Amino acid sequence: MTACDPAQAAAASGLAPEPGENAPVRLPAIEVRTEPGEVAGFLRETGGIGTGDFVPLTFPFRWLALPAIRGLILQLTGGEGFLPVHESQSFAYERSLHINTDYVLDVEIEASEKPPRLILKMVVSTAGGEICARLETVLRIVRLVAETDI
Amino acid sequence: MIDAAPGAPPPDWPRAGDEIGAQNFGPFAQEALARYAAVSGDDNPLHLDPEAAKAAGLAGPPVHGMLMLSCFEPLIMGWRRDLFISRLSAKFLRPVLAGDGIRVMGRVLRSAWVPKPELILRLTARGRSDDLVILAEAAVQHKNANLIS
Repeated sequence: MTACDPAQAAAASGLAPEPGENAPVRLPAIEVRTEPGEVAGFLRETGGIGTGDFVPLTFPFRWLALPAIRGLILQLTGGEGFLPVHESQSFAYERSLHINTDYVLDVEIEASEKPPRLILKMVVSTAGGEICARLETVLRIVRLVAETDI
Repeated sequence: MIDAAPGAPPPDWPRAGDEIGAQNFGPFAQEALARYAAVSGDDNPLHLDPEAAKAAGLAGPPVHGMLMLSCFEPLIMGWRRDLFISRLSAKFLRPVLAGDGIRVMGRVLRSAWVPKPELILRLTARGRSDDLVILAEAAVQHKNANLIS
């Protein structure tokens, strides 16, 4: 697989490819929960504010590690020999997230070839469908150089 | 309820040009990166494996950009606890290698009270040599914005 091939990644994910060479790949909705222990651990390692009584601003980034999202990122990255490097990040909140609460994620990832990048957009909504936050993550794809290549 | 004349911000509402005092975070040891990887799920070997970092052209594992970006929230909350961060956008400009720390600071770019009490902040993170490593912008609102008439 070459780096950033959404068509192949969509096929591998069992998703219907969308029209267009680099059309975004949209994942089925994902249900998540702001578990108190996970929030407290995240707070502890990111500046030490508070004692776990609120959900920190950057906490939703954690959900990129969920298997469905992570798997698609790795597929689009191109597999062994490539790594994603975080280039930019944005969060836009319409309402705060709360601890011990269920949320729904809508995620789409778009790949660009020149330069090789992944643009991931995530919308966090309440179980009732109210939008809480929107995230955009831009990952640059870096080809690793083996020592024999140097 | 915030006690202010209609259209007039209270005396302590920040103005354009006000500074948010610098705050140091780190140094971020390799163990701290491993702990952040565990709580965030971002176990990209670039941050954890010196060989992977070397293969990517770096002298050592870089600190997670999101770990550094997370430092802006305590900076803002330490400045004023009556704010809600509604937007944060950032570009990661240069890597900070494991073992180094950052200095984060901010400045008020724009200040409004009506139609809603909102500040636009320029935020920066600088590395050991004072090099700019993160350039960010945040929009923050008073937590009681909906109570202001």
